[in-house]
Amino acid sequence: MDMHQYQLTKEPYYRPIGREVDLFTASYAARLPVMLKGPTGCGKTRFIEHMAWKLGRPLVTISCHEDMTASDLVGRYLLDPTGTVWSDGPLTVAARHGAICYLDEIVEARQDTTVVIHALTDDRRILPLEKKGELVRAHPDFQLVISYNPGYQSVLKDLKESTKQRFCALDFGYPDAAIEAEIVAAEAQIPVAVAHTLVQIAKKSRNLQGQGLNEGASTRMMINAGHLIREGVTLGEACNLALIVPITDDPDMRDALTNAVAACA
Amino acid sequence: MSRKSGGVVRLGDTGSASSAALRLALGDDWLAPWLHAHNKLRDAGYGDALCRAYGAASVDCAPLVGAETVIGMADVLSSLSIKSGVAAAEQLCRIAPLAARRTADASRFRSWLSLLQRFSAIAPESAMCVLDRMDDLLVRLNVSQLELWLLAGVRQAGVDPERRLQFFSLENPDALRLLDREAEGQSFFDMERRLMAWMVALYGVHLNVQPAPLARHDGAGRRASFGEGFVQMPAHFPGYRRVQAEALFRAALAHVGAHVRFTRKRLEVGDLKPLQIAVVSLIEDARVEQLAMREMPGLRRLWLQFHIAEASGALTAQSRFARLSRSLIDPDFQDADGWVRKGRDLFFAARDRWDSPEISRAIGNLLGNDLGQLRIQFNAKSYVVQPPYRDDNLGLWDFDTDQNPPQDQTEILLDSARVRPDDTPDTHDQARNDPPDASDITKARPRAPDHQDCGIFAGRYPEYDYEVRIERPDWATVVEYPANRGRADFVDASRERHQRLIRKITAVINAARVSRAERERRQTEGELLDLDACIDAIAALRSGQMPDAAVYQTTARRRRDLAVSVLVDISASTADPVGEDGERVLDLLRDSTVVLSHALNTLGDPFSLAAFNSNGRDDVRYTRIKDFDQPFDKAAGMALAGLNAGFSTRFGAALRHAGQGLLTQPNHRRLVLLVTDGEPADIDCPDPRYLIEDARRAVQGLAARGIDVFCVGLGNANMENERRIFGQRGYVQITSIRALPEKLSTIYMRLTG
Repeated sequence: MDMHQYQLTKEPYYRPIGREVDLFTASYAARLPVMLKGPTGCGKTRFIEHMAWKLGRPLVTISCHEDMTASDLVGRYLLDPTGTVWSDGPLTVAARHGAICYLDEIVEARQDTTVVIHALTDDRRILPLEKKGELVRAHPDFQLVISYNPGYQSVLKDLKESTKQRFCALDFGYPDAAIEAEIVAAEAQIPVAVAHTLVQIAKKSRNLQGQGLNEGASTRMMINAGHLIREGVTLGEACNLALIVPITDDPDMRDALTNAVAACA
Repeated sequence: MSRKSGGVVRLGDTGSASSAALRLALGDDWLAPWLHAHNKLRDAGYGDALCRAYGAASVDCAPLVGAETVIGMADVLSSLSIKSGVAAAEQLCRIAPLAARRTADASRFRSWLSLLQRFSAIAPESAMCVLDRMDDLLVRLNVSQLELWLLAGVRQAGVDPERRLQFFSLENPDALRLLDREAEGQSFFDMERRLMAWMVALYGVHLNVQPAPLARHDGAGRRASFGEGFVQMPAHFPGYRRVQAEALFRAALAHVGAHVRFTRKRLEVGDLKPLQIAVVSLIEDARVEQLAMREMPGLRRLWLQFHIAEASGALTAQSRFARLSRSLIDPDFQDADGWVRKGRDLFFAARDRWDSPEISRAIGNLLGNDLGQLRIQFNAKSYVVQPPYRDDNLGLWDFDTDQNPPQDQTEILLDSARVRPDDTPDTHDQARNDPPDASDITKARPRAPDHQDCGIFAGRYPEYDYEVRIERPDWATVVEYPANRGRADFVDASRERHQRLIRKITAVINAARVSRAERERRQTEGELLDLDACIDAIAALRSGQMPDAAVYQTTARRRRDLAVSVLVDISASTADPVGEDGERVLDLLRDSTVVLSHALNTLGDPFSLAAFNSNGRDDVRYTRIKDFDQPFDKAAGMALAGLNAGFSTRFGAALRHAGQGLLTQPNHRRLVLLVTDGEPADIDCPDPRYLIEDARRAVQGLAARGIDVFCVGLGNANMENERRIFGQRGYVQITSIRALPEKLSTIYMRLTG
């Protein structure tokens, strides 16, 4: 299996906020499974890419969704001219070849799917492939990382306690205004002052979380707006394109956000 | 009696209108036709008063709208008398001259007449109260706007004359709101949602905004106001329309928001004179605005547009204030006046200390003294804060001091500008909502009703006697009582209290929404092949086993199809307190109902709300709060707010009655959701088991007709009985009553998938 396709060659930019780099390094050294918790677009995926690059490990990313079954994770039989042939799923590939396996937005998947990872996340580190009759023992370099957005917590969609308790967790959030502005300025290559205004606007939109918006603007959205500004778009239009129109269809919310942008500019 | 002699018509007794006046008003040509119309009215037997009134009205109106129109009025009077009574027709005559003046045009006046004629045909009971208010209505609305408003009221209130009356007598705040909307086109409350969302974004705070009552000096004196936990906003600022109005609302909200954020503590009045109070308030206004602009520079543009003072003209106190205000916010404004310059210099010198509220007092005092020494006249009574987006500053000051304030001055200030927080429109008699004395807590007790008791017979239901195992037909009588009207703002207040919970429930419901298609795998039939199942089947075939034929998958859309009748027990025990702060079980029940109604609305399930208690088998009391075909609107909210606890709890009849109402609902699933804090009991049933068994029988009866019953029991009551009545899976106990608002809705959603 050619793992090169999963290897990161260039350093992904990541601006540490606390001790997360050191803490993750320590977790990896102990091969502990890690949960990255935080809202969307605040750097979880970028962080794990950065760490995979730093630690020199291949990274297998799986984006979880509601229709995902256990087979999508561990593998299934496929039909070929000679009959059936087993094909490893991404989780199995990572476990066999010692990659870091990153399950993104794991809460989207159904709970009967996510239990598949249980045996990998305790000290047994095994992955039973029942349909194949094989017991895969995880490569010593294998580690499981998941991302989890607590904002989607609800009666109907949440991680089981038995799943949560197998992980160490790192909290990700929107950083302080100064740091967030630094990140936006660096990623979008715009002056820090402009980045600062964008971050202010993002904070205003985050006030509306749960009061008309599901989530406020993410750092990623601000970076997008920054790109647009660098290309010559005005601040108002850039925010409209990158933030207001994608985030909501409600005309009252759009009006509120447009006027909040005006107030900050 | 008229007699024609020759070509001359002689007028007989036409009441107060003298024949000469009539002739003058109508003109000779129209006299005969007018008389004809007049006599028709007289002969129809509507009474002399109406004829006289018609005569008087004709005299006044004919010069304005013409004789022909006036003659046509008789027809309208006739229909009005038939539909709404002679009194209404007389009232119409009385206000016709005024209407003629306001409409100023014959054809518009005719439209107005025809509108009233149509209206009285649709809503006869409300014609009188609309006519009573016609003067005010015509001040604000033209005829087509009036028509829209009348139509809106009819549509809103539906076929229920009570509700229509409520609307048209302007007791229903929706009526006022709609009136505002017609009159000005854009009231604050039309824009409320997006403006409040903007405020949440800007300041991260959710303000509770109420309509400001009309101030004592109306018109130019209207200002926003804020206080402990509330904000009052005028529905409109006279003279501002459309885009300007919106900008003004925004500026006003942003200004109040700045106060809420930066004016942490109220200032003590002490022995400050009104002039000083005004100046200190002005500086404080400027201070909080500067702090807000630091964070959000765009607000300057918003506020600046309203500062229009010029650096010239008379130097009155009012104009000085306006000029000073402008200097403090407009960097380009130059003013030569010494006092204004001093104020500006002092303010900007303190730039580094803008964070501390004391500077307002310090600077304000100095400036106030100066003005006092200049002997500038200051009339506290007529003082109005400028520009109009700024609030009236009452929220800044702590008037409740122990020291005796100088009576005259403070009182003048208070008198002229005070807006009492509880002067909201539609406050109903508070006494109606106070519970009866709950000191005597027994399960079932008779009580003489302390308010008007006028129930309508609604049905007789059988009752089951377990001892002899028969159902006695027509044993219990259900009487429906009209809902008392409680506070109109009850529902809004309740929603405020449980904001977070309501948002959470909405989020959960939205997440589980129907539009998601669910894949059902391993089906024996379906449009697609389930790959995993196919592979298993082939594998089985190859190994010589029988394959499982369920190799398909389908997508199914989850649909909700259920109607629910919520039945709330308001027996005497619900007046019991929960905890220390005076909250009763009934209050929690009400709040829970509000939250549940919100959930039901969001889910889209049709539902009805009713409350019940009982006073013996002949008086099972049922109060409808909301029917299936009505929205959960202000009227329902007021009915909910007006519930009183009392009497006893006779489950069986109430359940049967609720079930009856559900039978007409076409939904696939029908549910009665009963919320109670105790067991069935009544004053005429000494054997507790009797009503329990009857309730069980009622539940079974409903189940046989396809209606499910589920009970939410509150408190620590004996679960055995509940289990007996509703079945093992037909009830749930909530021991922590405080959690009821949250639990009730969650239970419902879990119950109904």
